[in-house]
Amino acid sequence: MINLQNVSFSYNNEKVLSNISLHIDKGEFTAIIGSNGAGKSTLCRIMNGLLKPSSGTVTVNGMDTRTTKSSILARHIGFLFQNPDRQICKNTVGEEIRFSLDIAFTDKSMIEKRLFETLSLFDFDADSNPFHLSRGERQQVALASIIAAEPEILILDEPTTGLDYVECMKIMSIIKKLNDKGITVIMVCHDMEIVLDFAQRILVLAEGRLIADGETREIFKMEEILRQASLLPPQIARLAARFGFDDVFYVDEMTDIVLKRIKNRRKRTG
Amino acid sequence: MKGFFDYVPGSSYLHRLNPLTKLLLALMICIAAFISANHLFLVMLIVLNLGIGAQAGIFTRSVMLLKGLLKLCIIIFLLQVLFIRDGNVLVKLPLNIFITDGGISSAFMVVFRLVTATMPLALMLSITQINDLSNVLVTKLRIPYPYAFALTTAIRFIPVFANEMTGIIEAQTSRGVQLDTRNIFKKIKLVLPLCVPLLITSVRKIEGSAISAELRGFHLRTKNSCYKKYAVNINDICVIMISVVIVGSAILVNSIF
Ligand SMILES: Nc1ncnc2c1ncn2[C@@H]1O[C@H](COP(=O)(O)OP(=O)(O)O)[C@@H](O)[C@H]1O
Ligand SMILES: [Mg+2]
Repeated sequence: MINLQNVSFSYNNEKVLSNISLHIDKGEFTAIIGSNGAGKSTLCRIMNGLLKPSSGTVTVNGMDTRTTKSSILARHIGFLFQNPDRQICKNTVGEEIRFSLDIAFTDKSMIEKRLFETLSLFDFDADSNPFHLSRGERQQVALASIIAAEPEILILDEPTTGLDYVECMKIMSIIKKLNDKGITVIMVCHDMEIVLDFAQRILVLAEGRLIADGETREIFKMEEILRQASLLPPQIARLAARFGFDDVFYVDEMTDIVLKRIKNRRKRTG
Repeated sequence: MKGFFDYVPGSSYLHRLNPLTKLLLALMICIAAFISANHLFLVMLIVLNLGIGAQAGIFTRSVMLLKGLLKLCIIIFLLQVLFIRDGNVLVKLPLNIFITDGGISSAFMVVFRLVTATMPLALMLSITQINDLSNVLVTKLRIPYPYAFALTTAIRFIPVFANEMTGIIEAQTSRGVQLDTRNIFKKIKLVLPLCVPLLITSVRKIEGSAISAELRGFHLRTKNSCYKKYAVNINDICVIMISVVIVGSAILVNSIF
């Protein structure tokens, strides 16, 4: 699906990404984590061809991003930006979604079908004005208009930042549903609990270098790597580590272990 | 045009001038460009602009500015050449279009003027801090502070909006809008609707800055609120004299040739 080979990128002589190689397969759910300014957004833009690598090659479904127009790559990749206001340009939610559909499909009945499906998936009123909605709702409108076009790959740059818990879970459950259907998801996220709940794989960026790439649980065990990227594992994992249990990342896992210990002790003493 | 107006820090001779002097120099070069009707003189003014850029340590930026203007220049040049029919016919094209020596000469004139008149203001803004500019406008030229503030805020917002527009174009391109087309008419048709998100963000930003300015006591500000003093010294007088000489020689060159 997406393949990066020795990719470097600089903004006017200032190196932002250095020598990154990675491969993302169909259906994967990958999280990109790292501190602010590490180059996560730049990496996303490189992946969908908005930025061309200064050196190295990027291919999406076998197409070299250097020689393929971004508007053509857009048929394969849906990209949700940090700021939904840059994307929304129509007066009603329905029109906004239809705008994406008109680009993606030519068949009228297909457009109507997808419009209806998307509106009901998000529970939107087609006539509401997107500019009067809250920030979290605008984020959902932006996401809706992207996934309406049925991209095979979804790149999300901090989709949950600034949203409340309910909005956040709504967006994540929709993304999860799409991933279950086989859509590849790449997501930048600062919330380690969300990363742990949804991502199978993590890419850790620090100062433009890819310092780790692996399975979610494995990455959260690498203290040194997390320290370099100034990240903290979820609180429950840190608590568990203090008690000497490694490989514990969820509240349920923690309670299981603790209850088991208590039971064992009762047996021995009682 | 992104980045052509933001301040480049430095301590060159030109940087250290009084902001008013820099403004005057820029204006005088513009005026000279409009007075002059001599190709060679205009080319010399362009060289002078590049020299100013080099002195202030922003030579690469001045060259980039020149390159940025090139596209516009080519369009204007072609229009002039194709539509002005004074003088001797050099080439006859189909559709009753002539290329004349008068057309070429006036096309060069317009292009040179455009470049000479645009560069000094951009260079001046690159080496003057916007706050200094608005302060001298208020203290020395007695322009009421709200007007000076509006002017400097407008200038300050140019790169912000340019940035925002880049972001919007990126967002729409990655949705599949063919903004990366080479067909300029198609592109214009596609870009126009994007002014909606730009307008919305702009109004939000401006409203935000107005509120925060008000909260910080904007309405209490007077001419004397500025604590910085902008002295006029010998260097300023030299540069002012040079500016006058530039305009003078434009007039002189015109009357001789
Ligand atoms: N348009 C740009 N021009 C110049 N430098 C930029 C631009 N965008 C980002 N950068 C720089 O690139 C680095 C990485 O930025 P970014 O990819 O946005 O980081 P992240 O998304 O991880 O916070 C930062 O140091 C930032 O200052
Ligand atoms: Mg970012």
